[in-house]
Amino acid sequence: MAPINLRRLLQRKDVSSAIQQLLKVAEYPLSIRDLQNEVMFGVDRLDLLYKHPIEVNGESVGWVMGIQGAEAIATLVSHLITQELEKRLLAQETLDRYKEITLLYNLSERMGAKLDLPAVADLLLDEAHKFIQGSSGAMVLLNPATGVYESIATFGETEIVPLQIQAGVGVIGSILLSGIGEIINDIAADSRCIAQEACFSSLICAPLKSQEEVLGLIYIASQSAINYTAADLKLFNALASQASYAIENALLHKNKLKEERIKSNLERYVPSQVVQAILDSQGDVSLAPTRKDITILFSDIRNFTTQCEELSPEEIVRYLNEYFTQMVEVIFSHQGTVNKFVGDMIVALFGAPSPLVDSEKRAIETAIEMQKRLRTLPTQWIRDNFNTGIGISSGRVVVGNIGSPRHMDYTAIGDEVNTASRLQSIAKGGQILITRSIYEKTKADFQFQSCGSIKVKGKKYEVEVFEVVY
Amino acid sequence: MTQKILIVDDEPHIRRLMEQTLEPLEDEGAEILVATNGKEALELIQKETPELVFLDVMMPQMNGFDVCNLVKHELKIEGIYIILLTAKGQEFDKTRGKEVGADMYMTKPFDPDEIVEKSMEILGLA
Repeated sequence: MAPINLRRLLQRKDVSSAIQQLLKVAEYPLSIRDLQNEVMFGVDRLDLLYKHPIEVNGESVGWVMGIQGAEAIATLVSHLITQELEKRLLAQETLDRYKEITLLYNLSERMGAKLDLPAVADLLLDEAHKFIQGSSGAMVLLNPATGVYESIATFGETEIVPLQIQAGVGVIGSILLSGIGEIINDIAADSRCIAQEACFSSLICAPLKSQEEVLGLIYIASQSAINYTAADLKLFNALASQASYAIENALLHKNKLKEERIKSNLERYVPSQVVQAILDSQGDVSLAPTRKDITILFSDIRNFTTQCEELSPEEIVRYLNEYFTQMVEVIFSHQGTVNKFVGDMIVALFGAPSPLVDSEKRAIETAIEMQKRLRTLPTQWIRDNFNTGIGISSGRVVVGNIGSPRHMDYTAIGDEVNTASRLQSIAKGGQILITRSIYEKTKADFQFQSCGSIKVKGKKYEVEVFEVVY
Repeated sequence: MTQKILIVDDEPHIRRLMEQTLEPLEDEGAEILVATNGKEALELIQKETPELVFLDVMMPQMNGFDVCNLVKHELKIEGIYIILLTAKGQEFDKTRGKEVGADMYMTKPFDPDEIVEKSMEILGLA
């Protein structure tokens, strides 16, 4: 505790006026002096023979000089001062709490604005260190990629701060495991202490917890002995729990960004609704090869090579890009997924990776719109020269990631895929050819014209073919 | 000459808290004065001419705005820095604050560190 400043305590208006009144009514001359023997109240006379100590908590803080009976005055002044001192201590205590509240209040506001982890960590350590003494400190967080707890921010003599901490090992490691904050004022005497920690004398440590798990912890340690108190731990825990919110926030933000990145990349291959469905699903959209009932659409430009003979390669690419862009838009708008482009051919799937109701109907709608869209493309040359034949089939095929571990294609394999491909190859420009399976499902929705049967490679029986009239 | 800081608030524990907050300035030699209402504040300002005043806005009878206005515009006292203290959540009339000539305003619950820092700066102390 700081030395008692008699002068300051007696300076207060109410205290000083009480003493002055007291001196006025006293029948004998008196003086009140501080420890340096300077007169603060009363008269400076040499004939004040008796010296009575003014005591506060058993300690002399000044003197009352006067007659022998002036001892009562000294007792009274002591009492006044003790009271004033207690008031000050209470005020200081309140002020400390007040500062803590201000700290927490400001911190939550400032942390709320920070979305990157190191910034949150630095801010927290900085603020915590203002209230809790220590020679070093760190924020330790679980690195989800490695499963190791790592220091992401430190202060003080950082060379002695361990960069990695193993859960369950050492005092700090044990706290990671228990998830309960602790103060240890004599680390060496703690049975959990490991060599790395032995350079510290005192430690205060609070876990950073999300709802389910211990994300990490913050600690402040001191090489010289410090008596951390329960009040310190309470504040430290409060800081840690605020930091936890900020950290969770920052982590969520990071994941969100990652998700956005993945999403925007994925959306080049599958319609955004499908991407969203995959992201929203609880992990049951499997890309592993499985048997699925899907509809397969093949579309190809008739006599593409001949048509393009007169063009430069750059022009071909430009026209193809315009054509693909428009066609993919049509396919995506009907929930289809683009499986691949092979030269000028487009392979689209309906019902994979996410199941799709009425996949047959959607495929035909797509085909009709593709044919119509082709006739309204902005580039005259494309309108004049590109004619596509479309083949659609449906059935049970294997779909999923197929390939080598280093290069995978999400693709469909099966008889019906071959059938669709075959129908496409015999379709004339502007024609949409379908199988009986498609016809059966959609005969109420569209008009058809039978085209007889054809032989398809790998199929024992001939396949019955219909043309969509649109 | 001793520099003086005047705390004006009708709430006793806010006064206590402010006094305690400003203790570091006392250590630097500043004197802390206290007034419990606007009238008392005006008297003390004229008598003691403090360099810095923490003036609560919401006080019965004569409020902080009135005190400030009188000091700055009627009495035209110079060399006095007035900080208005307003309760958080209470809509503070910034225009009115400017009109009455306040030098700055702070919200309660105040930040003790900010109070000390600002006071040191105004009084030109370390």
